Order: sequence, then C-alpha cells, then structure tokens
Amino acid sequence: VTARIHVLLGAGGVGKTTLAAGYAIALARSGRRVGLLGIDPARRLQTALGLPLTDRAARVALDPPAPGSLDAALLGPAEMLRRWATEACPDSSARDRLLKNVFFHALSERLATANDVLAAIRLAEWFERDPSLDDLVVDTAPGLNAIEFLRRPESLAAFLEGPLVVWLRRLAQAETGRGGVMGGFFRGMAPRVLGGLARLGGTGMLVELGDFLALGEPVLERMAQRLAAAQRFLRDGRTEILLVTTARADAAAVAQQIAAALGDLGLSPRAVVQNHALPAALGAELAALAGAPLGPVGAAVVRYARAEVELSARVAAASAHLAPRVITLPVSRGLDGDRRLAALASLGEALSAGLADPPAM
Amino acid sequence: MTALPRIVFVLGKGGVGRTSVSAALVARGERVLVAEWTVAEAIGPLFGAPRAGPDPVEITPGLWAANYRLDATLRNYFVDHLHLPRFYRHVIDGPLLRKLIDAAPGIAEMMFLGNLWYFTTIAAEEADLHFDRVIVDAPATGHGASLLDLPATLSSVGATGLLAFEVGRVVTMMNDPAWTGAIAVALPEELAIEETLELVPRITRDLGRKPLALLVNRSVASLGDLEEPPADLEALAAQLSPAARDALALELMELRARARRERALREAVVGATERGVLALTDQLLALDSPGARDVVRALAGEVAPLLGGSA
Repeated sequence: VTARIHVLLGAGGVGKTTLAAGYAIALARSGRRVGLLGIDPARRLQTALGLPLTDRAARVALDPPAPGSLDAALLGPAEMLRRWATEACPDSSARDRLLKNVFFHALSERLATANDVLAAIRLAEWFERDPSLDDLVVDTAPGLNAIEFLRRPESLAAFLEGPLVVWLRRLAQAETGRGGVMGGFFRGMAPRVLGGLARLGGTGMLVELGDFLALGEPVLERMAQRLAAAQRFLRDGRTEILLVTTARADAAAVAQQIAAALGDLGLSPRAVVQNHALPAALGAELAALAGAPLGPVGAAVVRYARAEVELSARVAAASAHLAPRVITLPVSRGLDGDRRLAALASLGEALSAGLADPPAM
Repeated sequence: MTALPRIVFVLGKGGVGRTSVSAALVARGERVLVAEWTVAEAIGPLFGAPRAGPDPVEITPGLWAANYRLDATLRNYFVDHLHLPRFYRHVIDGPLLRKLIDAAPGIAEMMFLGNLWYFTTIAAEEADLHFDRVIVDAPATGHGASLLDLPATLSSVGATGLLAFEVGRVVTMMNDPAWTGAIAVALPEELAIEETLELVPRITRDLGRKPLALLVNRSVASLGDLEEPPADLEALAAQLSPAARDALALELMELRARARRERALREAVVGATERGVLALTDQLLALDSPGARDVVRALAGEVAPLLGGSA
C-alpha cells in the first residue's frame, strides 16, 4: 500500500468530523485520489457532502470540478458485519444459521460500539479494493477509544485463538453430530473447564457458542487479518496523525492523554490543531472595556467571550508541546449554510496550509 | 414529583458533561454512589480527590465513587458472594478463561450490571455499604445505551443454571421503574443533538420506558433567542479593533446558533421523556472562571427539581 493515511484524533465535539471532510475535499482538489472514512453516527457528514452515505464508498461530486476525486463511506457496524459474513460464507444455509446465532448478534452489538476496530478493518478492506488510492482520511471515535485497538491488539486475537475456543468448537461439532465421539477430543484441563462452564451456563449455551465459533471462523479470521494489516499501516512512518483540540479544558486533557498513549506506542502526532481558536486580542480589548455599561444579556455574552478567549489561550499553551506544529483555525463561517461544501474546502485548505509550514520545533 | 429510582443511568455523547451531572445528582443527606465505567473521565479529580478504584470511596460528604474493573468484580462475585475461591482461582482467573472473558461479548457488561444489582441490594449486608442511589456514569452513548438491552439479549441466549438465575435478577432490576431509570444529557451542539435524538427513542425501546428527563447542559436559553444583537453590545463592539469585533461577532453567532438548536431540540423531544427537559445554564455565562467544583455546585441547584424536592 502506498496511500497515505490521515487520522484525526481528539475529544468529542472538537470538530474532527468537519475537519476530516474539509481536509479530504482539499486533498482531492489538489489532484489526489482521496478516500474519506467517517464514523459519524449523526448525519452531519452526509449533509455537508450532500449525499447519503453507507458503509460502501460513494463518489462525492466536487464543485467546482477538480482533477482529483473523493470517495466517502460511513461505518455501519451491522451492515458491515452482515456483508463480511455474506462474503466469507458462500454456503447460504451456513450463512443463515450464522446470521441467526445469538452469539453473532451479541458480537454485532459489541462491535457496533467498537468503532476503533471496525474503522481499522474497514480501512484495510478499502486498500484491498482500491490499491490506487492516494490518501485515506479517517475520522475517529472520541478520545482514547479511537486507538484502543492499537493499545490492546491482543483482545480480538485472544478471542479467536484461545484454546477454549477450539474446545467449544469441537464440543459443538460433537453435539450436533458433525464431529464424532465427544470424549475423544478432550484431554487435560478441557473436560473440567467445560464442565464448570456447563454448570454455570448450561450445555445448550455452550453448543450455541461453539456453533457460532465454527460458522463464524472464516468471518472472524478475515477480520483479524485485516485488523493486523491496518495495525501495520497505521504504525508505518507514512501515517499522519492530527490531534484536534478546542477551547475546552476537557478537550485539552483528552489531547494530552491521547498524545501520551501515542507516545507509548512509539507514535507522535504531526500537528496539534486548535480548532475554533479565538484571538487573544479580543480578551485584552474586552478587559479594557470592562467598565462599559451593559445589560444582563450583553454582560453574559462578554463574560462568555472572555472565558472562551482565556480557555483558548490555556488550551493552546497546554497542547503546544504535544506536536512539532500547532495549527490554529478560527471558527468557520458558512458550515451551516447553503455553501457548506465551499466552506469545508476552505477549512481544509487552511489545515493543509498549516501542515505545509515548517515545524516550530 | 416522586424521587429518582435507586439506579439512574446518565447517558450521553462524550464531552456533554455526564460526569459533572452525575456528581450533581446528590440531594442533601443522601448517600449516593457514582458507578463509573469510563477511561477518560473520573469523578474524583473534580473534587480534588484521586481517581476511585473498584471499591467505593467517599470523595465528598454523601458522594461516593467506584470505578468498575472486571477482574475485581469477578473476584468479588465468585469468592465473596458464591464462596468459590478455588473455582475462581483455577478456572475463572486461569489463563485460559481470562482471555476469553476479556474478549467475549457481553461478559464485562453483564458483570457491570450485576455490580449495580449488588450495590442496590445485598452490599449493605455483605459489605456494610449503604447507598440511597447509584448513579451510573455510563460510557459514551453507544456503549452506555447497549447496557440497557443486554439483559434481554442474554435472556435469549438460552442459558440455564446459575447464569440464568443471575440474568433473571438483573432483568428484574432493569424492568422495575422504581429501581432503574435513565437520564439523557445533551449539549446545544449539532452533533450532540443528533445523537440525543437517536438516544432518547433508543432508551425508550431498550429499557421499555421513557427516559426520566433530558438535561441540556451548557444551555444558553437564559440569554433569550439572541436573534437581535443587544444594542449595548453593538455599541461595545464598535469600540473594538476590526479583528476583535469580528471574533466577538463569531462568538455571538455561535451563541445564537446554540440557542436555536436548543429550541429545536426541545420541540423535538416534547412528550419523549417522563419529566420533561431541564436546561442547565452554561456557567461561563454566569460565573467568572468557574472551577469544576463551582460547576458541580451550580448544576446541583439546577437539577434539584429532579430529585423529588428533597434537595
């Protein structure tokens, strides 16, 4: 894979989704073939791009037309899992049994919240399908959750490879008459452990679980392979990590946690993006006019603006050392209006320009 | 208005202020436990106390916190409650099963719910822990809401024996409106509102009843609609440099957008909650440089109507 991955990380509500869309548009306008992977559970990305998005990549019309291209997709956990099950189980009766299995449902439910894992798998799948992609911009879940799969890669693998899983699979085969004599399969600790589990939850549940593991194996295996591939891509030196903050104390704290966690993984953000930044001049000038007569609404607005300026400066100071570059982006106008796409593009271009500047340290 | 149920799930998108709201839901004279299950946020530091461990600790008078850990809960369940220390040591805590338990869907969630059952029933007798209420500072929207229908999902797994018995107890707990309820927390921001509009019906579906209330945190409703900029503010802006004037105009635009979104949210959830919508004023409008404790104190005043008038 030669494509460059751009990952936006940060607390909830700092503007990652909007920045990701803007950045992807800006890259496409500069002539590159760009993919945009959103996890946006809300519909903002769709509204901004002006088209309904699904888990399959769809072409976004660039206005004005540009030499590059932009394809966008949204994570859809349930749809993706069904699609992967369908692709991995060509036998329709086995597939139907898998899709009905209660543990498959439980896994879907759990994966529905594991956006980090799903985004990583989807990313690897995207590169398989479209090897000529130049850039893939990835919006992520808030906070540390977004990199959980890099921090604890053993979690999914353990589920797929543990010896207990093998025993349960065999148990299921034996019980459903497809295996053989149950006793022949088990040695050592297995009968005791399975016996204990059967006492806890009943044999029926173990059989259902084993059936799931047997049928779901190709799906889970494919997912594990793609996850491993994504981990390799994300850790190679070409991935660009952008840490997004805004004028909120919790956003600054989350940025620091993410930077520390990335550091533990040997990764570092290329830039801190301070979104919705307010100029320090506003605070100083409002302070100078502190005696001006104002009604309660005006006074509250001024107090609010001064607090935001102060927070903005504090967050900038606290996050400046987290990356070699700090990119300051003001509040964007027009993101709610009719010319959203143009506003997004100019936001993305401001981000690109900031990234092109030489590092400050 | 009747008091809150014994367990209240506080649900909402990351960053909406679930932790501050959870800390504020304590009426005078009560003993309230905040059961946390989050990585990033913790209630202890809000009060200058350390992050809580798995066992409840009192962080300020009447307010206790416990941060969920699966291993501690498994140990407590098998060793202290079932009195099966050998089974715990050799099977549950053995290398084979621990990996599966960590990775298997639903187990950590089920043990978390079991923990809530414990804190609202036998913890008083078994561990001398008495709480009037447990506030669940649940993980951000998706995961938090997925806790609500887990017992029903597990009931359909076809378990028998001890597991079925435990699931049954938790189902009873979740189905009882006097025992368990949920509160949704929103911000007047576009994404948070869209998530809230999905969260509220999801709670109703998964819990089988409406959320108790929707709390709009960082509300700017007290400023009115802001559609016409106040004349005094215009006069002030005229004295600013062009850059500062532009920045103030953007701030006003943002506040106006927040006020609009909040009104739209209120309209969209009319009748969707038991006790309506409660606006929690953005303390940046009311206080100069508020600290976390100031915010919790102010929020406590504003959520008092929800606590059945006992505050």
